[in-house]
Amino acid sequence: MRKALGLILASTAVAGVAGFAMPAAAQQTVTVWFTKGFYEAEDKALYAFIDRFEKKHNAKVQLSLFSTEDIITKTVSAVEAKTPPDVGFGTTYDFRTTGKWAFDNKIEDLTDIITPMKDRFLPGTLETVYLQNGTAKKKAYYAMPVQQQTIHTFYWKDMIEEAGFKASDIPTDWKGYWSFWCDKVQPALRAKGKRVYGVGHPSSIAASDTFYSFLTFVNAYDASPVDKDGKLLVDNPKVKQGLVNALKDYTEVNLKGCTPPSSVTWTDTDNNVNFHNKTTVMTHNATISIPSSHLDNANKGDAQAKKNYDELIQTAGWPKKPDGGTLPNLAAVKTAVVFADAKQKVLGKQFLAMLLEDENLNPFVEGALGRWFTVTKAGADRPFWKDGSDPHRKQVYQQFITEGTIPFQFVYDYHFTTINAENVWGRAIARVAGDKIPAEQAVDEMIARIKVLVAQ
Amino acid sequence: MVSLAQDVAPSSRSGRLSAEATWGLIMLLPYIAIFLTFVLYPVGYGLYLGTEVKAYQRIFDDPIFLRTLANTVIFLGLAVNLKLMLALLLSGFFVHERRWIRWLSFIFILPWAIPSIPTILSFRWMLNAEWGMINSLIFQFTFQDGPGWLLDRVYGLGSIITIHIWKYLPFWTLILVAARLTISKDLYESADVDGASGLQKFLYITFPGVRNMYITSTLLSTIWTLGDFNSIYLLTGGGPADSTQVLATLGIRYAFGMSEVRAGVATIIVALPFMVPIVVLMVKRLRGEDR
Amino acid sequence: MSPRKAFDEARLMLVGLLILIWTLIPIYHLFVMSITPQAEAFAGAVWPKTPTLDNYTTVLTQGHYFLGHFWLQLFNSAMVAVAVAVLTLVIGTCASFAISRLRVRIGETVSNLALLTYLIPAAFLAIPMYATMGQYGLLGSRWSLILTMVTFASPYAIWMLRQYADKLPYELDEAARIDGASPIQIFWLIYLPLMMPSMVAIGTYALLLAWNEYLYAFLLLSSDTEITLAVALGHFLSTDDAPWNLLMATGIIYALPPAAIYYAFRRYMVAGLTAGAVKS
Repeated sequence: MRKALGLILASTAVAGVAGFAMPAAAQQTVTVWFTKGFYEAEDKALYAFIDRFEKKHNAKVQLSLFSTEDIITKTVSAVEAKTPPDVGFGTTYDFRTTGKWAFDNKIEDLTDIITPMKDRFLPGTLETVYLQNGTAKKKAYYAMPVQQQTIHTFYWKDMIEEAGFKASDIPTDWKGYWSFWCDKVQPALRAKGKRVYGVGHPSSIAASDTFYSFLTFVNAYDASPVDKDGKLLVDNPKVKQGLVNALKDYTEVNLKGCTPPSSVTWTDTDNNVNFHNKTTVMTHNATISIPSSHLDNANKGDAQAKKNYDELIQTAGWPKKPDGGTLPNLAAVKTAVVFADAKQKVLGKQFLAMLLEDENLNPFVEGALGRWFTVTKAGADRPFWKDGSDPHRKQVYQQFITEGTIPFQFVYDYHFTTINAENVWGRAIARVAGDKIPAEQAVDEMIARIKVLVAQ
Repeated sequence: MVSLAQDVAPSSRSGRLSAEATWGLIMLLPYIAIFLTFVLYPVGYGLYLGTEVKAYQRIFDDPIFLRTLANTVIFLGLAVNLKLMLALLLSGFFVHERRWIRWLSFIFILPWAIPSIPTILSFRWMLNAEWGMINSLIFQFTFQDGPGWLLDRVYGLGSIITIHIWKYLPFWTLILVAARLTISKDLYESADVDGASGLQKFLYITFPGVRNMYITSTLLSTIWTLGDFNSIYLLTGGGPADSTQVLATLGIRYAFGMSEVRAGVATIIVALPFMVPIVVLMVKRLRGEDR
Repeated sequence: MSPRKAFDEARLMLVGLLILIWTLIPIYHLFVMSITPQAEAFAGAVWPKTPTLDNYTTVLTQGHYFLGHFWLQLFNSAMVAVAVAVLTLVIGTCASFAISRLRVRIGETVSNLALLTYLIPAAFLAIPMYATMGQYGLLGSRWSLILTMVTFASPYAIWMLRQYADKLPYELDEAARIDGASPIQIFWLIYLPLMMPSMVAIGTYALLLAWNEYLYAFLLLSSDTEITLAVALGHFLSTDDAPWNLLMATGIIYALPPAAIYYAFRRYMVAGLTAGAVKS
């Protein structure tokens, strides 16, 4: 009996201590939540920076690392309960919440720390954190760019050769490009008795890959549903037609049986999985995580992985737009924020300012083996990206620096975070590829839904 | 404490009673504490979150919501009834007294005794359209790709219902075996003497004997199946295109997948008008039989 | 044996065979995948070309990135399960004693509330429970999972133990009272010993419930060193090299303890379940 009461009391006490842990002595504590790195080197670079920060500011950093999915869930619920950390960095914040937090006045204006270092950022980065605050009715820099990603294509050189083609046979025109994988490579390999698919084509609503890829198709037809001032363009007949064309082209791959049937249920890792085990010849994916995982295994001594990375896997860009123009690279800038309900706002801002210093940011970004691209000019100038010795990073550099990037729609209207989270695009794909309705009808439904969500 | 002691029955024995009453309350305290902190408060907080009208507008506006409701009804209707009918049939098998049947019952209980994550994930891999064991077999024999078991709504719900039944059939069979064993053997013997057929025996002896338990089981299983998250989440994740979501998984998707906590709560609350009457009925049934 | 009887017997066996196949298919597949080398994991074979126990070695030696804390996570699962069983028993026996033997007046109310809680599907409370744990500052700690599982296990424990307690002759308590025993002495010396068999059943029930839990474990816990094995299994779904063979080997190891415990206490469990889960 006493034991029972004791246990209850003890557990309540544990709750109390965990909830209200006080910092030791006069040293100030800054609470920081970060996304856990994919590779050890990332986390190590972060720890090293934190050491330097603690010494410089005589502060204590209380760091928690969460997985990509966890951090968004935990932060959202902490913000809602008004108990957020001081600093948060999530690699999906930008997709899901940064814009909304800024609009709802949940994060701090970082203009004072960003202004002095404004010139250090690459073009296309600061634009994405210049966000609207619905309470203050103003635009300002509400988040700190830390790293970024854009979308690439990948293919197995040996599989193309097995199908009887060379890399130089890959067309650069839009229609010819997709037809090559579906109508030439796949049938050639199937004729040899292989149960393979030409394209790994994310088509589910569960994957953010789906909207990343689909919105790239939308850009191919210059059909962005919203303009830079946040004005909805979906009633513009040209935009609407562009969306229909994009949806038709996108789902043609599904309807032709050119992507694994399971792609309608894929999560973000599944196009990687299918590519790794050579179920698909090519795939499109934001970040170079596909070759990077082979590099990681190669670094652990796997000879086949080394061969895959050095010779067999090709990282490439996209074909020309249907009108022959250059397809812009859709980039997502990963953001760190200081919360409005934070206890240590000043220290939190200092944390972010110091993180962006070259000696801190570069090892952190480069620890990801090329998975994330830097946001600073100095970072991009480093041999890691620039010397061209690594075939995959060379392509990343090419797309970011030589070709340039454009941002997602949610930068202009935060409602598009909800539209992406609900994956209105994936739903339209499923309507055409699964329910077999005409693309025109699916786009009508899609537009109706976008209007509802924007009005909310 | 004096006033608390007055709450205590029976009143004939005073003096010692206050000690007993005090002890009784102290011994109830741990559960009361748990109930207040982890049932009453969360339920209250949930209902508070669910007071926002906008959230209901949000979910009813969502084209997948009505389909989710329909899925929930289909899932409940088919999974619960198929499962219990099978359980009733199988209970007739397991009441036979054979040594090998006892051994079989030992194996039969496995799906229920072991955790569902490994077995559902195993099932999921087995059903994979490209490299699962089943479609590989179909490809070997017919050189055709098999159906996408998890790739459209009908097959998806079918697979979900199958794994649900696989997991929970043993438990309900066990319950109905127990119910059958309470029926007196004399009844069957005299029926045999009268030359009754198997069907007649089932209709006139077995079913009336287990009917009460069968209804209770149906009600209870309906509530629990409504809360079955694993069979859907681990098998199809509600996909493709949210076409196999049920209320329990959609609520989680709103709250944690899309960071819309209130919409998530609203989704669950929508099920309450359906669930609460069953719960109340069940409480009455269980309490009534208790007397 | 008459032909008629032989026919019946054959029919029984046919049904038995079907039941056996139906029951074992997913388990067989689980086992086959667990002895399949990574290179063959995508072959979908009925039996691997080169069966191997390497997957088990990899799991037990924590030889994969996703298994880096395998033993700790196994310990977490065990620790959570045992804590839930102990707490549930303490709460359940105390409450059932108060309700059934001391006959506290609010006992009936508490008993009804417990029954009501028992009937709410646990998944329905997930969102508010998550928010509540956040407010209590318990998110991420194993205590949050333990307390949640105790919350869901104790109503059934109270309900069941109460059924048993009601069957004990009240005269025993009376006699002890006349001898001057205090309530606590009656609890220790008479109630607990008599209740032992049903406590074994309830303890096992709570243990298995906590060990097998997935939804709450994955919502409430996050760091690699706090999660239970169930959550770690779910993490395998988000790797891009899809080591399903390792997942299945881990899954089998994870499924063994509850299976063993179930069979060890089967007698108590079956009696308990059929008597308490659904009362006829």
